[in-house]
Amino acid sequence: MSQLDDLKSAIKDRLGELECVIGWEQGYDALHATPLFIRTEADLDRLVIGPLAVHNLATYLTAYKGKKIGVVVKGCDSRSVIELVNENLVNRDDIVVFGLCCDGVVSQPKIRAALPADPGFVESVTIGTDELKITVAGQTVTLKKSDVLADKCRVCQHPNAIIADVLIGTKQNPAGANSLACQEEFEAKSDAEKLAFWQETMSRCIRCYACRNACPMCVCRDYCIATSRDPLWLSQDNSPAENMMFQMVHVSHLAGRCTECGECERACPVDIPLMLLRRYMNKQVKDVFEHQAGTALDQTPPLFTFKVEEERIHERGW
Amino acid sequence: MPAQDIRELRIVGFLCNWCSYGGADTAGVGRFTQPTDLRIIRVPCSGRIDPLFIVRSLLNGADGVLVSGCHPRDCHYAEGNFYARRRLELLKRFLPVTGIDARRFEYTWVSASEGQRWQHVVTEFTHRIHELGPAPSFNPMSEVDWNALALQAAQGQGCPCHG
Amino acid sequence: MRIGVFICHCGSNIAGTVDCPSVAATALTYPDVVFSTDTMYACSEPGQDAIIQAVKDKNLDGVVVASCTPRMHEPTFRRAVERAGLNRYMFEMANIREHVSWIGKIKEQNTVKASELVRMAVEKLRRNRPLVAKRFETVKRVLVIGGGVAGIQAALDCADGGQEVVMVEREQSIGGKMAKLDKTFPTVDCSSCVLGPKMVDIAQHPKITLYTCSEVESVGGYVGNFQVTIRKKATYVDWSKCTGCGLCVEKCPSRKHPDPFNENLCNAPSINIPFPQAIPKKAAINAASCIMLQKGKCGACAKVCPVKCIDFEMKDELVTVDVGAVVVATGYDLFDWHKYPQYGEGRYKDVITSLQYERLLSASGPTGGHIKRPSDGKEPKTVVFVQCVGSRDKSVGRPYCSGFCCMYTAKQAILTKDHVPDSQSYVFYMDIRSPGKGYDEFTRRAMEEYGAQYVRGRVSMIYPKGDKLIVRGADTLAGTQVEVPADLVVLAVGAESAKGAVQLGEKLRVAPDQYGFFVESHPKLKPVETNTAGVFLAGACQGPKDIPASVGQGSAAASKVLGLLSKKELESDPAVSRVNPARCVGCGKCILTCPFGAIKAVADRFGNPKAEVIDTVCQGCGICTVTCPQGAIQLEHFTDNQILAEVNALCPPKIFANFE
Repeated sequence: MSQLDDLKSAIKDRLGELECVIGWEQGYDALHATPLFIRTEADLDRLVIGPLAVHNLATYLTAYKGKKIGVVVKGCDSRSVIELVNENLVNRDDIVVFGLCCDGVVSQPKIRAALPADPGFVESVTIGTDELKITVAGQTVTLKKSDVLADKCRVCQHPNAIIADVLIGTKQNPAGANSLACQEEFEAKSDAEKLAFWQETMSRCIRCYACRNACPMCVCRDYCIATSRDPLWLSQDNSPAENMMFQMVHVSHLAGRCTECGECERACPVDIPLMLLRRYMNKQVKDVFEHQAGTALDQTPPLFTFKVEEERIHERGW
Repeated sequence: MPAQDIRELRIVGFLCNWCSYGGADTAGVGRFTQPTDLRIIRVPCSGRIDPLFIVRSLLNGADGVLVSGCHPRDCHYAEGNFYARRRLELLKRFLPVTGIDARRFEYTWVSASEGQRWQHVVTEFTHRIHELGPAPSFNPMSEVDWNALALQAAQGQGCPCHG
Repeated sequence: MRIGVFICHCGSNIAGTVDCPSVAATALTYPDVVFSTDTMYACSEPGQDAIIQAVKDKNLDGVVVASCTPRMHEPTFRRAVERAGLNRYMFEMANIREHVSWIGKIKEQNTVKASELVRMAVEKLRRNRPLVAKRFETVKRVLVIGGGVAGIQAALDCADGGQEVVMVEREQSIGGKMAKLDKTFPTVDCSSCVLGPKMVDIAQHPKITLYTCSEVESVGGYVGNFQVTIRKKATYVDWSKCTGCGLCVEKCPSRKHPDPFNENLCNAPSINIPFPQAIPKKAAINAASCIMLQKGKCGACAKVCPVKCIDFEMKDELVTVDVGAVVVATGYDLFDWHKYPQYGEGRYKDVITSLQYERLLSASGPTGGHIKRPSDGKEPKTVVFVQCVGSRDKSVGRPYCSGFCCMYTAKQAILTKDHVPDSQSYVFYMDIRSPGKGYDEFTRRAMEEYGAQYVRGRVSMIYPKGDKLIVRGADTLAGTQVEVPADLVVLAVGAESAKGAVQLGEKLRVAPDQYGFFVESHPKLKPVETNTAGVFLAGACQGPKDIPASVGQGSAAASKVLGLLSKKELESDPAVSRVNPARCVGCGKCILTCPFGAIKAVADRFGNPKAEVIDTVCQGCGICTVTCPQGAIQLEHFTDNQILAEVNALCPPKIFANFE
């Protein structure tokens, strides 16, 4: 049986006790998947998995708080589930986790770059072991999977779901690399270059809050301080500084909580490389607190606890 | 003191009421002359200082931000500065990726009796900020800048790896 | 809103370097400011009256005073605006004295800075709202930590004032340093005769519970409602049965352990009652030297004890008490003079400390009150006193004056002559500090009536020659070197903070200064208060003090405690955190980080989890406000919006309007 069939049968076994199970189905064209809320066995026929199933479905969990639901997660997504459980934002007993062993998902911007400009409706996608055959406007383009792999998958350390009530598929090995060239290149720039970079990218920001809404850890939803008057942290002014302030709010509230699923960057309609900020913050959190969010149950995010003697914080002399 | 000879820069201070604000008072009572650039915002505890206040100040155009609380273990509220230490250290380490010079933000501990230490901290920090000069603005300064930025944005330069 | 601004000249303290009328004029341009003036002394009676009058005349609903630090006069002005009919939280202060006029020299810059601080205060005030205090009951019991003379006085005054007292003493007996002294200056009356009856009063007072051999383990809670855990250390003697007969002390075969009460001048048995007047008069075993506890054999004390109160299995015990206030009276310790190479670093037996000399003088001491020097037991004929050992000396980190050494040295010189009439005393001193009632006359007597030779200068070296110690020093008045062949050298060692004071301070949230002495709330106006409400200081734990000053502070602390506990209820500071239940998602991060357990999880009427603040427990630190990503829990009077308003007043956001 294939991984998909295994998953379908596992979901079928548990569906009776659950409000719904969240998975993926094909979206508006063959290249795009979209979340699927499985309530009946008939819905199961539409379930898809694989490199196009990019969404982190843990994002939907808090909306179902108090109800018993199932969720299909990749390795990276499972970290978000753990973090939500650790922060008491969802109840572990209310969630049935269908864990996948994932060999990576694609990056839509990278595929877009490899296709002819304005491809429009993609007719079909055939997924092989190492390549994707994409048919658009009658022409078939073959892309190497490694070329269009999402950034997070290139450095993925948790390809298999860390927590799962049912683990499906054969276990995958973590990626060999643990840092991205683009990240290193960016960090090596001067302050002035970085400032200019953010000035420019933030001037593109339209403050649609897609990055926030896609984030599994942004649980404030309607009560985000970016859109409130009391407290009033941000004005409506759509200037680079104000847009950057919003990103700083996001980064700051995710410090020690971000599971690096990359949904913020994926959701951004103007391709702002938000993960440059997230990855850098996560690196600092790991350096100072030896903490990686959502990698184990019963962790406390580092900013909600302290040590009297901090081994890795050194007083600066005055 | 060079800071007094030239134009003042904008330095915002966040001080806890019980130790550092008292230390600054002690410095005043002792008539320990300091550069005048610093403006102090009084908060009950360093644990009340949201790192986002510091970010807000810097993005609004502050040239420097100085935070001071009770020495670890001496917090009036027992644990406030332990939380503050974690939050502030993380911010300090994070700033470089934003293009804001991390030297423009500093945090330290000054007790209510350490008037001279406060004078030293203020003098040193002000000196440092004057060496760095006025902070570059995050927002464009003129319409010309705006248009240049809009043009750049239209060309859609993203992350290096997104081509 | 209608805001009035008052710029204080503070005489010339502010007006000297700040153009106050100009600051007042600038303030009128700020939003909501409808009245602005400068005033000579805002805190004076006419100053306060002017504020009250302006509130009424101009129909103000908020007041900004720019003057000294809010740590000084915020309460004063809050009361004033309250008298004017406003809520006391509709008031803000700008500190233009300590933070402006006293530290900056250039008037133009100071004036600009003062104006900006006023602007900050105005912007914050615009977002203030009236807050009303809640009331809570207090526990009518006080904890006194330390059973020296200051603690004894505080405990007796509190108990006589009708409050229950729990006294905790680290040593086996109360009495502190005073119990070790032979006589006291300037009256030369017997120390234990003065102190003894007070110690007995402690033991017999129906309102006082005494725990000796005990230490404070932890302190929780807040003013009016502290929870204190006391560790009663194992004494291996059941004190409910022990009669203090002393048979065990006589029979104990282990006598190799130095006697701390006698400043290690002699050895003490392993089971001991430290001195005849000890309170409580009970025996206790020193586990480190007891043969039974170390080697499992002996038990001589258990055999002779007539009431069978020896218990070798005894363990430490933890006791928890609720108290409404705490008096800290932990006293001082002696400076470790071995740091000084010139005094022999402990190589010469006949160089002793002043407190050891007290024990030699004392009739209950190891020599029965006869002065015998430690090396050979001979009566010394020439005694040299060296002053300022560990006082007024930056090189050993003790730049402060210990205050009482000049006086006790004079007393010891007088007593030396009384004990050994054919003796001669020499005193090496820096300056004589005798600013108490009858003190200077007393030092004069030591010189003039008792013939003590005072030499103004420091001792550079002490070395042995035969059975004498040669003390070499400078006589700065004569401009010569002097050498005195001494039989005994007494070092007037200075005071330092008691061992463990810093750790105790952490538990009580009372900060020590750089030398380990506890910091009072205000050096002049609040000498026994601390910055932690409900915790008071008495005696030398706040700084070196002689007996009358310690007793005075003990009484002062007691009067503060009685004042506090005489109220049926206390008002809690309304500047506490408040949850907006509409915004709260019930994640509980605030509950996790609150150091006081002041936030509890509740369910709203739909069963959703929400945080709720217990007003009287919240101390107003604001840790929770930063923890909450939704900004759902806000510290009143220091809300995000109030602090952001201050930030924005200082750094106005740069907006380049582009509405094309």
